[in-house]
This record gives sequence, C-alpha cells and structure tokens, in this order.
Amino acid sequence: MLTLRSQSGSRQACVVVLLACTSFIGATQAIGAQLPLHARIDALIEAGAKGQPMATAAEDAEFLRRVYLDFTGSIPSADVAEKFFADQNGDKRSKLIHELASGDSFSQRLADLFHIMLMERRGDSASWQQYLLASFKANKPWNQLAQEILSPDARNEQTRASAFFYTRRLEKVGEQETDYPGLTRDVGRLFLGIDLQCAQCHNHLTVDDYKQADFQGLFAFYQNIAIHSSEFPAIAEKPTVKKIEFASVFNKKPKETGPRVPTLPEEREIAIPVFEKGKEFMMPADTKTKLPGVLAFSPLEQLSKQLPTAENGAFARNMANRLWFLMMGRGLVDPLDLHHSGNPPSHPQLLELLAKEFAAHGYDVKWMIRELALTKTYQRSSILPSGSEPKVDRFTVALERRLSYEQLLQSMLTASGQLDMVMTKDRAGDKPLPAYEDLRKKFAASFAAETKEAEVHVDHTLKAALFVRNDVAFLALLQPRAGNLIQKLLDEKDDAKLAHQLYLSVLTRKPLPEETAAVAAFLKSYGEQRATATRDLAWALLTSSEFMVNH
Amino acid sequence: MQHKRNSSSLCTPHEHALSRRVMLGTMAGGAASMAFGGLATPAVAEALRQKEKQVLFIWLDGGISQLESWDPKPNTSFGGPFRSVPTSVKGVHFCELMQRTAKHMDKLAVIRSLCTHDNAHSSGVARIQRGDPKNRGVVYPYLGSAFAKLLGPTSSKLPPYVWIKPGSGGFKAEHAGFLGPKYGALAFGDGQPPDNLLRHESISEEADTQRNELREAINRRYAVQRRKVSTEASTAVFDTAQQLMKRQDLFDATTFSAADIQRYGTHDLGRHTLIARKMLEAGVRFVNVTSYGWDTHGDHFNGSASLIPKFDQAFSAIIEDLHASGMLENVLVVAISEFGRTPRINGHIGRDHWPEAWSTVMAGCGIKRGIVSGSTNEQGTWVKDNPYDIGHVFHTMFKALGIDSIDTEYDNGGQPLPIAHEDMQSITEVLA
Repeated sequence: MLTLRSQSGSRQACVVVLLACTSFIGATQAIGAQLPLHARIDALIEAGAKGQPMATAAEDAEFLRRVYLDFTGSIPSADVAEKFFADQNGDKRSKLIHELASGDSFSQRLADLFHIMLMERRGDSASWQQYLLASFKANKPWNQLAQEILSPDARNEQTRASAFFYTRRLEKVGEQETDYPGLTRDVGRLFLGIDLQCAQCHNHLTVDDYKQADFQGLFAFYQNIAIHSSEFPAIAEKPTVKKIEFASVFNKKPKETGPRVPTLPEEREIAIPVFEKGKEFMMPADTKTKLPGVLAFSPLEQLSKQLPTAENGAFARNMANRLWFLMMGRGLVDPLDLHHSGNPPSHPQLLELLAKEFAAHGYDVKWMIRELALTKTYQRSSILPSGSEPKVDRFTVALERRLSYEQLLQSMLTASGQLDMVMTKDRAGDKPLPAYEDLRKKFAASFAAETKEAEVHVDHTLKAALFVRNDVAFLALLQPRAGNLIQKLLDEKDDAKLAHQLYLSVLTRKPLPEETAAVAAFLKSYGEQRATATRDLAWALLTSSEFMVNH
Repeated sequence: MQHKRNSSSLCTPHEHALSRRVMLGTMAGGAASMAFGGLATPAVAEALRQKEKQVLFIWLDGGISQLESWDPKPNTSFGGPFRSVPTSVKGVHFCELMQRTAKHMDKLAVIRSLCTHDNAHSSGVARIQRGDPKNRGVVYPYLGSAFAKLLGPTSSKLPPYVWIKPGSGGFKAEHAGFLGPKYGALAFGDGQPPDNLLRHESISEEADTQRNELREAINRRYAVQRRKVSTEASTAVFDTAQQLMKRQDLFDATTFSAADIQRYGTHDLGRHTLIARKMLEAGVRFVNVTSYGWDTHGDHFNGSASLIPKFDQAFSAIIEDLHASGMLENVLVVAISEFGRTPRINGHIGRDHWPEAWSTVMAGCGIKRGIVSGSTNEQGTWVKDNPYDIGHVFHTMFKALGIDSIDTEYDNGGQPLPIAHEDMQSITEVLA
C-alpha cells in the first residue's frame, strides 16, 4: 500500500476504490451477522468514507458534554464531569447513554426538539408543550404521535392539544389569506421530507419527482378545515364532497384529484363517499361543550391512517434522516426536506437501514437516538485530523452543531450554578419564576431562528452578540449569589483551583496548563479587583465559541 | 436534473426560470457554504472597499405612481387631475406634486421605461430588492445584503447594511439569503437603536476591552483544529457590535438642527431620511430608508396629494445636502418601488399594480446628471423605447459603484453565482 501510494494519481485512486470495496464487503457481512444497529451504522460509515480522514474518538470531556447536551438539553455540572472523568470502567460511555436515555430530562429534551422541528418557532402553547412532554415520557411511537397530530381528536383530552400544529398555521396574519398551501407544504416537509412548494402551480421545474398532482393530492386533505374556536387548540372539518380541480399554469389542462398521500401510488387516492344530506356528520358539533362535529368521512382521519404507516416508506425515512441530523449535525439527505431521486442520500444503504430498523422497532424515537449515540460515528471528535477539512457528508469528523436557545439557557444556568432559578417554584405553584421567564424570553429573542425558519444551522447574529455583552438579565448571571459559580470562584483563593473550577463548570473540561497560567495572569492584572476579573473570566468562557456550540 | 432548493415563501413562475448554469455541488444553503461564501475575486473587493462608496436606497413600499411623480401624462385619458411642472432640465417635466425635486433634476437620472412583469407585492418586493437573477435553488440577497457582501463595511466598521423603517427594528437575517445571516439588515425601527447597544454601567470600557480580548484568545485556541465556520462568523458579529457601541451618537435625534428637521419634514419619511444622512456621514455602506403605504388602490389622487409631497420634501432635501457636501460624488442614491401603478383608473378612483411601464430615479456616484432614459407611450400605458428590467437596474447600480457586474460572482461554497442577471446589462446612458 505504501509503495502504491507514492505512484501516479490514477493508481492512487484505484487503491482508494479497492480499499473502499473491501471494507464495503466487510460492511455487508456485518449487516448479515445482525450486529446491533449502531455497529452496522459504523460499518457503513467507514465503508463510505471515500478516503476522507477519520477523526479520533472524542475524549471523555468532549463526549460527556455532547451526550449531555443531546440527552438532557444542558451541559453537565462540574460534579458530574468530575465523577465521569474519574470513572475507570471501560463501558462507562454506553452505561451513561443508557442511563440518560431512560431519564426524565431526555423526555423534556425530545419535547423541545420536536417542538422546534414541528413548529419552526411559530410560538408556543402550554397545552401543546404538555402534550409533547407527556408523549415522550410515555415514549409514544412516532407513528402514533404523527397520527394524533395529523388528525387531532377534540374529544380526547389527553391528545387534543396536538391540533396546535394545525391551528397555529391556520391563523390569519393581517390581510393575508389563510395559508393552506403553506400548511400543505409543511406537512410534506415535516412528515415526508418533501418540499412540494414549487409544485403547487405546475410540476416542479427542477425536481422531476415532485408533481403538481402530489401537491394537490396532499392539499385536498386540507380544503375543508378551519380553526374551531374553543378553549384548547381545535380544528373543525366541513364535509368533503368532491375532488379538487387544478391545472398547470403552463398548459392549463384541467385535472382533478381526491386526497392522496403524495409518496403513495396514485391508486391510493382516497375515494370520496357520497352521503345523504344531513348524514355527513357522525356526531354533530356540540354547542354546549363547544366540541367540533365528527364527520362520517374525514379526510384527516384517512390521512392519519395512510401517512404514518409501513406502506409509506417516506414516513420512516424522513424521521430517520431527521434524527440522524439531530445527532450528527447534517442529514444523510440534505436539505432535510428534499428527498427525491435527484438528491440521493450521502449513504443510501444507511438511510434504508435506519428507516427499516426504525419502523421495525415500532418507530421508537428514544431507541433510535440511543443507537445513534452508541455509534463510533457519533462519538468521534470534532477536532479535525491534522491539516484537513474532511467533507461534511462523510461523517468522519463530528460536526459542530447549533445549540437551541433552550440548550443555551439551560447550559448557562448549569454553568453559572443557578439552576435554582428554574427549579424553585413560586407561590402560585407551577409557574416559572418571573426572573427565569424574563431570561427565557430574552434568550429566545436572541438565539432562536426567525419565525417559520427551520432551525438547522449555527447562526451568529449581532443581536445575540449585543445581548451577551450588555443585557442586564444576562449579566446578572455573573453576579455573586450564595452557592452560584461566581461566589464559589470568589471564595477560591488559589488561582489554579479557580481555573479548574471555572473550566470544568463552563467548558466541561480541565484547563490546559497554559490556560491555568492565563487565568492566573488575568487575575493578577486586575490586582485588587479580583471580583471584576473573576466575573469577566467567566463571561469570556460563557460567550466563547467553545461554549456556544455542541462540538 | 440537478437538485435545487427554493425556500422563498412564495412560488411564482418567474422564480422557476431555468438555469443555464450547471450547479456545482449540493452545498447550497448549508452552514458551511454560508460561512465560506466569499467573493470569487477578493482582491477586487479589497480595492473597492478603499474608495468608500456608499448607497442610499429609498424604498416606497406598495408602489409609487410614476404618473404622479417622474412621468406625468397630463391631459390624457389616464393622466389624472394633476398638472406637470418644468424641472431644472429643459424639456423634462415632473408631476406638480414633485415641485421641490424638480429643481434638482439637473442632478438626477430618471429612468422612465421599467418593465418588470411581476405585479404581486409579495413576489415583487423580492424580485426587485433581491434582483433574483433566475432561480438556481438559492435565495438571493436583498440589495443591501449584496452590497454588504460585495463592499463590506467602510473603514468606519459600522454595520454595512442599515435599514431605517417605521415600526419595529431588529436584525433581519432573512434579507441575506444564501450569503448567510451576518449579511442581514440591521433595522432601526423608527430610527431607534437596537436593544442592548449601551455598555452596561457595571463594566468599564477598559474591562470590556479586556474581557473581549480574553474571549478572542479562547476562541483562537478552539478554532485551531476546528472548521472555520463558527468562530469566523462569531468574531465578525462581535466586532460589529463593538463598533456600533462606540457610535451611540447615531441615535441621538437631538443633534439635528431645527432647520433641517423642517426641511426634511416632520413625517416619518422626512425624519428617517434625515437619520439616513447621518448614517451616511458616519460611514454606513448601504442605507435603506423604507416608507410604507404607497399601495393606493382607492382614492389614489387624494392619497398622492398627501404622500408624494412628503417624498418630494425629503428626497429633495437629501439630494440638496449630499450635493452641497460633495458626498453625492461617492453616494449612489436610488428611489424605487416594487412596481408602478396602472394608468387605468379603477372604480375606486385608484390605480392598481403596474409593472409594465414605470419609473425609477438614480443620482450621485457614477450616475450621469440631468438625463432621462427610456420613455412610455402617449398614455403612459406601455414602454415606448428601451424597456429595462430590474436586472438592468442592478447592473447599473453595481457599475456605478465600480463593481464589474459581469465578472464579479458570488462564491456560494464552490457554486459560482452571478451578482446580477446574466442576460441583462447596465443602462449605459445613465452611467457617468
């Protein structure tokens, strides 16, 4: 191999291909042997590296921070880090993953993730939050969750808040029409991974797979729904009695379609039954309870029966890809909502494997994320192998990922030792403390993506920079209070120990010798103003890139 | 067929005009491509940056009527009730609602033959302000973001793209399109400063500097073995924050003289244009002044009688001032809408959207003075000669600022993208 490498470029290419083939055979054998999913994932990633250099395994500190951010939505405390570093058990990583995957924080984290994914910062509702949280606490399978969201049942008190997905999108904004096309688009994007926006008025011009009939078929499910006014999010459906008619703006040829899931074959178009007048409703709207009526034929119910199913492979592929994105920083299909034959996955076999296993495991989101966390791929370092920036779509180096504002806030509170801001309940009971609520809103305004934007990339904004520099509520985190980080640091007279405590609390790692020295020098330069120096040290670490991303 | 992405919120046929160019890679929209997105020719950008050219972009949202401003057609069936007045250039007339600006026609270039085809506000605004040179599956930047990218901040290091508008302010990342959020607009709602601009009193200036240096040192260590993406972008926004914090005076309206306030007008557009002058003087690269409420579908003539003099007042005042201070040499001024208004007067005595024949005005840096380009027919219904699309205006603006709009390309993570429509050119007769 060494001798060949020194020869001509084309020979080199051959070697790479040969090597890839050999490991590929290895990978297929591994799959045959029914290794756990995470091992099969690694085999496929290694086989697909295409010569891109691999990063080494993440060190304990990098791993611990990452896994905590992903499973609990916060960095770990200094104590947790200390214990983990001291643990000499060889299987401490997988043990931790299993532990975190069955913890309560993971349910909250998933509720946050799915809220961000499904609502794309359109705002929030307490009942929707509770619904998501209860769902993930019960580890509700994704197909069931999808079913409840796609066809909300106003008579089921446990699940009816799922209608928020629809109601928020059906709200009228100013003079604009109710955005039914936008809703249709989002259902395609978020549940099937296909963005049919540009196939509304004609077949998509650049994506052969996306036809106008696909958009219109999905649109047909939504032609008769509206917000139902009640105290909880609810929608009302009017009877659907005919197909919708449409024509391409180019040839004006009239066509029609009934409701159809766009990723299912045309013959799965749903037939619209005819009812006698007065028989359209199985249960009429209830004026007393203000519950909407229940149709004898509800397109949404049909949708919820057809879309989240094994028959519809796109359903599992979409979520498998999205969960991969959440853990690995980039979808196998990228962008996440452009699955089509002209935009194949970076690792086609891998996506098929993930989708198949996800469906076979009853669409168990927690299981899937746990398996992803157990991979070597996930546990690689984000530190680049020397002198190279391997291609992002090979997943040979961990990709830095955006922290949601929720993660940032929790991590800031953890780091600064002020989780009591959230934990303490005020006299009214469950309501968060006003100071926390104020801070949360400010974090949202500074770090959340714009309304209706998918929150996928790390964005740095002037707004956020000004916020962490000057905002009163943010800077208050750096004031000494009994038991918080700053107070602990102020009580510490030994500079090296201070540096240790600071780095462990904020960056989840021990300081390097030169960093310890730099901390001491900084403190010294402030002389008697040690309190100011300490505050600013903590500020600099909390606002650093190392803190602000999941790396 | 290559894959493309369109994440604009609307879908109109013009967005789908097919690309002749082969798209390179599939990185469009990715974080990596945004952060690495640079100019294909950095040396050119560097040379331009030193000349400190600036742009004042006045946006009359909803569509100013060309007939009641730059291209009057008095005594014709669609002409409306207003007369026309002579300007400081012989033979050129404006609507009588533009009396003050008429005196400065000798400094302006009026283009009377815009023909931009799109008559919807929602897509029209994007089509005009994003330039939208054919859909390549990427969202093009608004003009302000384009200039922020192409020319960067001036030596003032102030945010390169400032947007002065009524209502709320904030950071408008979406203006930047594929260039990435850091090229977005910094909007001053009603001229007010952004939140958290003031340094907190508990932090001295010296301490602020020191803590930033410390933060930068920590970032440098982190960045050594990482992809350049996150640290580069965060450093840039912290730097801008720093510069802006030093210029609190930009938001102090008390520094304007009573005479100036009267000259520009005490209405939003007047006040905002006056603030724009200050921003330009301070060295902001691109200032967008936006005025809303120009969509006069009903009672158009009374509406015009109220609206247009406000524009006339503010516009003539700033042209006069930029001329007097010599800044007009380096500042390109453009006043434009998403379209003009129909010559036909509707049943509500209104004029509707008309993209087929309308006007814009340019002045200052790189622009010829006192000329009219293109014309409409007798009744103002259609363009008679030299129809120009928005791409022509883009090329002209870039050229006027010394940017070669044909050879300069965006580099979107390896994908070359033209800065203006490939099938169009600059309007040479208005270029100095």
